[in-house]
Amino acid sequence: MIRPFLQVVQLYKKFGDITALNNVSLAIYPGEILVILGENGSGKSTLAKILYGLYFPDKGYIKINGTPVIFSSPAEAKSKGIFLVSQRPQLIDDMSILENIALFLSTSPSRGLRKKLSEILNYLGMAIDVDKSVHALSYTEKQLVDLVKVLLAQPKLLIVDEAVTYLPRELKHKFLNIVKGFATRGGSVMYITHKVVEAAEIGDRFAVLRRGSVVGVFEKGVDVSTLRQAMFGSEEYLTAITKSPVQRPLHKTPALSVENLVVFDEYGKPAVNDVSLSVRLGDVVAILGIAGNGQKELGEAIVGLRKVAKGKVLLNGDEITHMPASERVRRGLIYVPEDPFREGVAIGLTVAENMKLFSQSRVSKEILETAIRKLEVSPSNPLISVAKLSGGNIQKVSLSRLLLNTPRVVIAYSPTRMLDEKSRVLILRTLQKLAESGSAVLLLSEDIEEAVYISTRIGVIVNGKIVKFFEGPELESYREDIEKVMVHA
Amino acid sequence: MPKVAIVKRELSKTVATVAKVLVILLGLLIAIALTSIITGASMELAGITLLQGFLNLNVFVYISTLLPIAVGLSIAFSASAWNLGAEGQLVIGAVGATFIALYTPFGRQEVVAPLMALLFASFLGALWALPAALLKMARGINEALTTLLMNFIAYHMTNYLVKGPWRGRAVYGYPTTDMIPVQARIPTVPGYSFSWYVVVICVVIALLMQLFLYRTKVGIALRALGSSPRFVELAGISSKRLFLIAFLLSGALAGFAGGVKVLVYHGKLVEGPIVGSGYGFTAIMLSWLGGLNPLLLIPASYYTAALYILSFGLQIGSAAVGDALANAIVGSLLAFILLADFLTKYRLVIRWS
Ligand SMILES: Nc1ncnc2c1ncn2[C@@H]1O[C@H](COP(=O)(O)OP(=O)(O)OP(=O)(O)O)[C@@H](O)[C@H]1O
Ligand SMILES: [Mg+2]
Repeated sequence: MIRPFLQVVQLYKKFGDITALNNVSLAIYPGEILVILGENGSGKSTLAKILYGLYFPDKGYIKINGTPVIFSSPAEAKSKGIFLVSQRPQLIDDMSILENIALFLSTSPSRGLRKKLSEILNYLGMAIDVDKSVHALSYTEKQLVDLVKVLLAQPKLLIVDEAVTYLPRELKHKFLNIVKGFATRGGSVMYITHKVVEAAEIGDRFAVLRRGSVVGVFEKGVDVSTLRQAMFGSEEYLTAITKSPVQRPLHKTPALSVENLVVFDEYGKPAVNDVSLSVRLGDVVAILGIAGNGQKELGEAIVGLRKVAKGKVLLNGDEITHMPASERVRRGLIYVPEDPFREGVAIGLTVAENMKLFSQSRVSKEILETAIRKLEVSPSNPLISVAKLSGGNIQKVSLSRLLLNTPRVVIAYSPTRMLDEKSRVLILRTLQKLAESGSAVLLLSEDIEEAVYISTRIGVIVNGKIVKFFEGPELESYREDIEKVMVHA
Repeated sequence: MPKVAIVKRELSKTVATVAKVLVILLGLLIAIALTSIITGASMELAGITLLQGFLNLNVFVYISTLLPIAVGLSIAFSASAWNLGAEGQLVIGAVGATFIALYTPFGRQEVVAPLMALLFASFLGALWALPAALLKMARGINEALTTLLMNFIAYHMTNYLVKGPWRGRAVYGYPTTDMIPVQARIPTVPGYSFSWYVVVICVVIALLMQLFLYRTKVGIALRALGSSPRFVELAGISSKRLFLIAFLLSGALAGFAGGVKVLVYHGKLVEGPIVGSGYGFTAIMLSWLGGLNPLLLIPASYYTAALYILSFGLQIGSAAVGDALANAIVGSLLAFILLADFLTKYRLVIRWS
C-alpha cells in the first residue's frame, strides 16, 4: 500500500454564514491525477487555496507524507512543493512575461531562465514573445503563462484550477501530456475542471464536491453520467439545448456590420487585419479562433474599447466607429467581456450594485431577484460583494447584463468560461433565445463546440484575418474542417 | 529602470480590522512620543493633552473644514481622479466668499449673505478644479501635477488681492481685507471659533455624499470607475463624465470649506497660505484614513482634529511657529498611519531589470 503524498483531514471552511467546505477529507497519492469536479460554488477553489496556503481552514488539517502541516502563506506551501495555477491568472500586468516568471521563481530574469522558458515554449509550439507585457495578452494566454510559470518550479503537487480547460486543443493535449508525464515520475496532480468528459479520460480518480461536501470518490473507468449525477443530481439539463431551427432573419439590413476593419495591438502591429462581417437581427454569428488571433482586439474595437485604425463599424446602419463605448452600449450594443474579474464586474461592489449599473433602466427588487434566480447565482443574496462569489458565479453576474436589457446586438467573448455544464447550457440557450426574440448575436469564441451549437455562421479568425466562413444548418458536420482551418490556415 | 509592483495581501476581514485599529492606536502613541520630543514636554503631559484634545470643543474648528474637503476628495479618489489641489480650491473658495460678502449687495443681507457666499465659494472651488480635469480628458495630462500647480497659483492670486486691490482701509497695512459685514458672518459658539450650523451642514454633507455614493447609479459607477473604467463604459456610463463629476464635486466641497474659513474663522480674507494652512493637504491623508468612505470620515476627521489640538496644546508659548508645526506633526503622523495601514494590506515588489 503506497502512502498518500498529501492528506486532507476533515477540513471546514466558512465565509460568514456560507459553508464553503464541510468536513472534507481526501488523499492524493504520488503519481496520480485526482480530478475534482463540482458545480459552480461547490468549494473547489476554496480547497485548492487552502492547500496552497492562501486560506486558513477553520477546522481540520493537512498531512504531507504523514506529517501534519499548517500553511499560513503560499511561500510555505511552495517550500513543500505544492503549487497552484489559479482560475484567475496571477500575473502582474505591467511586467513582461519573463519578469513575471522570474518574480514567481524568485530569481532574476537571466539568460538562463530565458533559455529554459523558450525551450518549454518551443516544446509547446508556442510562438510567444517573452518580453511582451502581460497586459497585452488575452485571458487564455495569461493562463498559459501561469501554467508555464508553475511547471518551471517543478512541483511535487500541481494543482490546476481550470487553467488548462480552455487552452486550444492541441496545446491542451501537450499540457496534459506534460501533466501525465509528471505523474508517472511520481508527482501528483489535482485537476479542477468543468469539462466532465475530458476529465473522465485523463483522471485516475475523481472526487465530486457538492455544496462543500465530498459526495463521492470514483475510480478510473467510472462513466460520465455517474459523475454528472453526483455533481448535479441529474443530467436533465443536457437535453435543454437543441439546435434551434434556422429561421429567416427578420431583417435584410444587418444590425451590426464591420467593414474592412484594421486594429492595432499594443505594439503597433495589426491585430485585426481587414475584417468584414455582418450580423442580422435574429442571427447568431460566431468568430472562432485560437486565443491570441485577434478576437479580443476585434471585440474591443467593435464595442469601442480600442481605437479603430481603418474601416468602419455600423450599428443599425449608423456609423459608430469612433463613438465612446458607453454611448454604443446605450444604443443597445451589449458586450460581455473576456475577463469577468477585470471588466465584467466591479469586484468591490455588491451583486445588486453591479446589476443596477448594467441595466439601462431602473431595476426593481423583483427584476434583480429574477435575474439572480434565472442565472442561479449562488449565494443568491444580492447584497453580497461580488468578490465573495466563486469564479463561475462572478461570470454569471457579468452575464446578467443580457437579462437586464433588451439588447439590439450582443457581443459575447467566451461567455461560458468558468461555468459548469448546467450553467453553460443555460447561457448558450439564453443567447439562442435572444436571437429568436430579435437580437443580433455575435459570439467571439475559442471553443468550437459552443460555436457550432448555437450559430448559423462561423468565421474562423487566424492572425487577425477571417480566413473562412462556414455556413448552413449542418455546421456540426464541418467541425473537423473548422478545426483544421483554425490551426493550420 | 527598477519596476515596482504592488501586490495585495490576502487577509481575512477580522485580521484587517484588528490591524487597522492597532495602527490607529499606534498612531496616537507615536503622536505623544513625537510631540514630547519636539516640545520637550513629558510623555505624561503629552498624553494628557491628547486626551484633552478629544474632549476639547475646538475639534469642531478643524472638523468644519477638514470633513467637507476630505469627503470631496474621497469621491474623487474612489474614482481615481487624483485631485491634489484641494488646498488651492479651498483658497479660491475663500476668495469667492469674501467677494460676495464685501463687494456685492448680498453682503449685508442676513441669511442670504452667508448662503450666497458659501454657494459662490463652492462654485469657484469647482471652477478652479476644472482646467486640470479638462486637460486630463482632452490631452491626458496628469491631473495630479496640474492640480498641485494650481495650489500655488491660488496662493499667489490671493496674496496679490490682499496686498493690492482688496487690501482693507482699516487694517494698518496688514495684508488682509477689511472684516466682512456682520450679516455675512456665521454666528459662532461663544468663546469658540466654530459654528454649530456649519458643523451640522458638514455632517449632513457627509451623510448625503454617502447616500450618493452607495444609493445612486452615478455614485455607484463612480466607485467602480477607480478599479475599472472599462467596466463602467461597458455598463453604458461615460467614464469621462464620471471623472468630471468627481473632480468638480471635490473642488466644490474644498471651495465650500474655504468659504467656511472666511465666514466663520477669519472674518476676512488673509494671505493664501494662511487661509489654506495646509488643510487641503492634510485632507488628502484624512480621506485615506477614512477609507474613502464619507461616513467613516466623520470619526476619522475627529481623530485628526484631536491630533491638531495636541500639537497646538504643546506649542503654546511659541505662537510664532503657528500652524506650520501643527501641520508638520499631523501630516507626518497621518502619513505614518497610512503607510502602516498600507503595509498591512499590500506588499511591494521591486524588480531591477
Ligand atoms: N473570499 C470569500 N469570501 C466569502 N465567500 C467566499 C469566498 N471565497 C469563496 N466563497 C464562497 O465559498 C463557496 C465556494 O466557492 P469556491 O470559489 O470554492 O467555488 P468553486 O467550486 O471554485 O466554484 P467555481 O466553479 O464557480 O469556480 C461559494 O459559495 C463562494 O461564494
Ligand atoms: Mg473556482
